[in-house]
Amino acid sequence: MLCSITSACLKGIEGYIVNVEVDIAAGLPSLTLVGLPDQEVKEAKDRVLAAIRNSGFDSPTKKITINLVPAEIKKSGTHFDLPIALGILGASGQLSNTAQEKLKKFVFIGALGLTGKIHGCAGVLPMLIALSRQGKAQAVIPQDNLQEASYAGIKTFSVKNLKQVVDFLEDKISLEQEEETNSETLNIQEVYTEDFSEVKGQALAKRALEIAAAGGHNVLMMGPPGTGKSMLAKRFATILPPLEKEEMLEILQIYSVCGLLNKRKGNFQRPFRDPHHTISNIALIGGGQNPRPGEVSLAHNGVLFLDEFAEFSRTSLEVLREPLETFKVTIARAKETLTFPAKFTLIAAMNPCPCGYHGHNVKVCNCTPVQISRYKAKISGPLLDRIDLTVNLMPVNFSDWEKKSEGPTSKEIRQRVIAARQIQKERFKNTATTANAFMSVSQIKEFCVLPKDGAQVLELAMKKLGLSARSLDKILKTARTIADLEGSKDIKKEHLMEVLQYRPLDRKGVSDI
Amino acid sequence: MKYEEKLARLKVNSFSYLRSDWLNQMIEIFSSAQELLKQDAKTISKEGKISLESAESFLKSCSMLDGEKEMEKVEKVGGKVLFNGEEDFPQRLANIKEAPLLIYVRGDLGDSERASVGMVGTRKISPYGRRAASKLAGDLAQSGVVLVSGLARGIDSVVHAEAVKNQRPTWSLIGTGIGRCYPAENRELARAILETGGAIISELPFDAPPLAHHFPRRNRLIAGLSDIVVVVEGEVKSGALITAKIALEQGLDVMAVPGPIDSPTSGGPNKLIKEGAGMALSANDIIDAIPSTKKFGLKVKKLYNESKAPSEPLTEQEQKILDLIGESSKSVDDLALETDLQIAQLSAVLFSLEIAGIIICTDGKYSRSKF
Repeated sequence: MLCSITSACLKGIEGYIVNVEVDIAAGLPSLTLVGLPDQEVKEAKDRVLAAIRNSGFDSPTKKITINLVPAEIKKSGTHFDLPIALGILGASGQLSNTAQEKLKKFVFIGALGLTGKIHGCAGVLPMLIALSRQGKAQAVIPQDNLQEASYAGIKTFSVKNLKQVVDFLEDKISLEQEEETNSETLNIQEVYTEDFSEVKGQALAKRALEIAAAGGHNVLMMGPPGTGKSMLAKRFATILPPLEKEEMLEILQIYSVCGLLNKRKGNFQRPFRDPHHTISNIALIGGGQNPRPGEVSLAHNGVLFLDEFAEFSRTSLEVLREPLETFKVTIARAKETLTFPAKFTLIAAMNPCPCGYHGHNVKVCNCTPVQISRYKAKISGPLLDRIDLTVNLMPVNFSDWEKKSEGPTSKEIRQRVIAARQIQKERFKNTATTANAFMSVSQIKEFCVLPKDGAQVLELAMKKLGLSARSLDKILKTARTIADLEGSKDIKKEHLMEVLQYRPLDRKGVSDI
Repeated sequence: MKYEEKLARLKVNSFSYLRSDWLNQMIEIFSSAQELLKQDAKTISKEGKISLESAESFLKSCSMLDGEKEMEKVEKVGGKVLFNGEEDFPQRLANIKEAPLLIYVRGDLGDSERASVGMVGTRKISPYGRRAASKLAGDLAQSGVVLVSGLARGIDSVVHAEAVKNQRPTWSLIGTGIGRCYPAENRELARAILETGGAIISELPFDAPPLAHHFPRRNRLIAGLSDIVVVVEGEVKSGALITAKIALEQGLDVMAVPGPIDSPTSGGPNKLIKEGAGMALSANDIIDAIPSTKKFGLKVKKLYNESKAPSEPLTEQEQKILDLIGESSKSVDDLALETDLQIAQLSAVLFSLEIAGIIICTDGKYSRSKF
C-alpha cells in the first residue's frame, strides 16, 4: 500500500513543501530511504520503527520504501520523523479510513524519540510560512515549537506524542487549536537591567552611539582597557528603537532555523550578538556543509558587537565587508546559492595598541611605533570605510569620575532615537530601506542635499584628508541622521562638521607628517 | 684612487659589524684595500687583533659583495659613492674620529661645508615636540641653514618635512643602504627630499637592511655633518642623546629644547641643559651658536615679528576653545566638561579649527599645532 504525507524542509532560511511517500510491499523486511536524505534524516529509520513499536502499533516486517519528493534536493533535519511514522502506519493499514482522509488535510512536522514522544525541531517557523504561502491551512507540530508557530499565519495543532496524533486522526480526541498571534499586538517585554547613565563620562562615545542607534550606523570605539568600551556596547541595546512586526518576523525565522527560538521565549528585544574573537570565518558569516546562518545573520536587525576588534583574524574581518555593504550574505555553492539577511549595526571596540595603553594619561605604553601602526593596520582601509563613526575613549580619572555628570538615561536617549526613526520611517515609506545607514545611492542623492556652505566644508575636508568617494557617502548618511536627531529638515554645515570629527583612524592627512 | 681600489674598498666596507677606524687602520697596514683582501683570515686576525671567527666572517662578507654591481646599482638610482681620501669627500666627515671609509649619496650634497644644524629626537613624539620641532626647523630652513637628521619617525620626519615645505635642501643620514627606505611610510618624504635638492646619505652597502646596530653608527654621521646638534625631544636613554654625546666628543656645540619637567620625552633635553647645553628657545638661538665663519649669508629672523593675523579671524567660540586647549592636549570630553557646549556643537568648532591647521588631533586628544 502507498501513503503520502505532506511535510516541509529548509533551504537556507526558506522553507519548501516536501511530500513523504511511503510504500510497503511484500518482500524481505527492509527499510530504504531515498530522495537525498542526509545523515540526520537517514537515522529516522531506527527512531521511527522503535517509536511505532513503543506507541503500541506494529512495525511492519515487510519491504518499506520511503521517498522524499522533490527527490533532487538534499534534505536535512529531524523533523521528517513524524511524517515518516504516520506514512508507515498509513501504508501498513493501521489507520482507519477516516484517519486516512484526515491525514491528507494536515501538514506534519516533528522529531520522534524512541518512546514515541515528539520533540521540537529547528526551522519550524520558516517551514510553516512557506506552507501557508502554498495554501496549506493546518499543521500538526511539536509542542516545543508552539510559540514560533503562532506567527506563521497557519492553523497549528500541537502534539506531545505519536499516540496522541493517531488518536486525533481517528477522532478519538480533539486537539485545541492554538491561537494565532497577531504580531501587531506583540507583548514586547523590554526589561533591561543596565542603563546608559551607569557609564561615567565618555560623552563623545555616548553621542556617537546615540547617532548610531538613530540611523543604524556602524561604530568603532578605540581606547585603553577599562575606559568603558564594552560597558557602553552592552548598553547600546537599551537605546535601540523597538522592533517592527516585519523585522521581528525576519529575526524569528533566522533564529528558528538555528534552533535558538526555544531559549528566547517571549523575548523580543533586538538581537545583540557578541562572538569571541577566536570565531571562525564560517561561524561569523554563515555556511558549512548544510549552510547555516552565521553570527552576522543572527545579528540581523540588531547589533553585532565585536570586542577586541583587532584581535579577530584578518580573514574574519575581511569577510565582514560584504554584509556591511550589501546587508546580506550570499553563500554560493556549485549546486545552489543561498542568501541570508545580515542587516546589522556593527559596534566594534579595540585597544589603540597591543599593550593597550597608547594615549593613556598615566600608564606608559611599551609598544614601539611599528607595533602600534601594525596593530592599527589590522583594520583594513575598505573595512574602515564601512564604519561610519569612530571615537577615541579616554580614561576617566578619579576626580573627574567623581564630578562627571552621569548624562542622560537610556530612556531619554531612546526617546530621541525613536523620534529620529519616526522621521526616517516617513522618509522611506514604501521602500525597503529602514534607516539612514541603509540608504541606496539614489536615496542619498534624494534625501541628503548639501547646504551651500556644506559643499565647501566637504571639498576642504576631501582635499585635506583625502577622503574616498565611499566615505563621502557615509558622511552624508551620518549627517542625515544627525539632522534627524535635531529634527532639522535640511542637513546643515554643522552636522557635516560633526560627522567629520568621528574619523580618528584615518586622520593621517592632518596629524602625521 | 684607482677604480680597482675603489671596488675593493666597497667590498671592505660591506662588513658593518667592525668599526670604520679599524678598517682604515687595516688598509694602512696593508697599504691598500686590494692588498687587505688578498690576506687570509689568520693574518687579518693577527694584525687586526680580532678573533679568527670575526676575520673569517669579515672576509666572507667582502667576497659576497660584487663591487661593480654595487656601482651599477648606485648609478641606476642616480647616486654616487664618495671615497674618503678623494677630493669630493666631505672634509668634515673625514675629520671625525671614526671617519667612514666611504659614503653612498643619493641626491645633491652640494657644498658640504655649508652651515648645517643636526636636529634629532624621539620617534614617540609628543604634541609639544611636534610643535617645537616644526617651528625651529621651519625657521632654520628659511634662514638658509641645511637641516640634518635621520629620516626616522617622529622628530626626524618633522624636521625633514619642514625643510621640504620650505623648498630647502636637507641631509638625511639613514640607517639602511640608500637603496632602501626605512620606515617605509617615509618613502614619499624621501622622494620629496631628493626633489628639493637634498641628499640621502649612508655608509652602508646599497641594499643594507635596517639592523639595530646600524642606527647608533649613523648617529656619528649626523653629528659629523652638522655644525650644531639640537636635541628636540628624547628620553634620558635614547638615540638622540647618543647623537648628542658623539657631537660633544667631536667638539660640536649641543643645544636642547627645554620641555615640561614631567614629560618623559623631554627628560633627555632637560638633562642636557642641566649639564650645560645651550637652550634652543628659537631659531635665532641656534643660529647664534653656529661658528661665525659660516654665519655669513644666513638670514636671521627678527624676533617677535610673527604675530601675523590668521587668514580668517577666529569666531568667539573658536577662540574660547583654543584658549581652553592652551598648551595642553584635551579630549572632546574634557572640553565638554569645561564649556557648556553640547558634543555636537563642540565637534563642529573643533573640526573648523582642525581643518584650518590650528589644532591637531592625535589619539583623540586635541592640541595646538603651532605656537
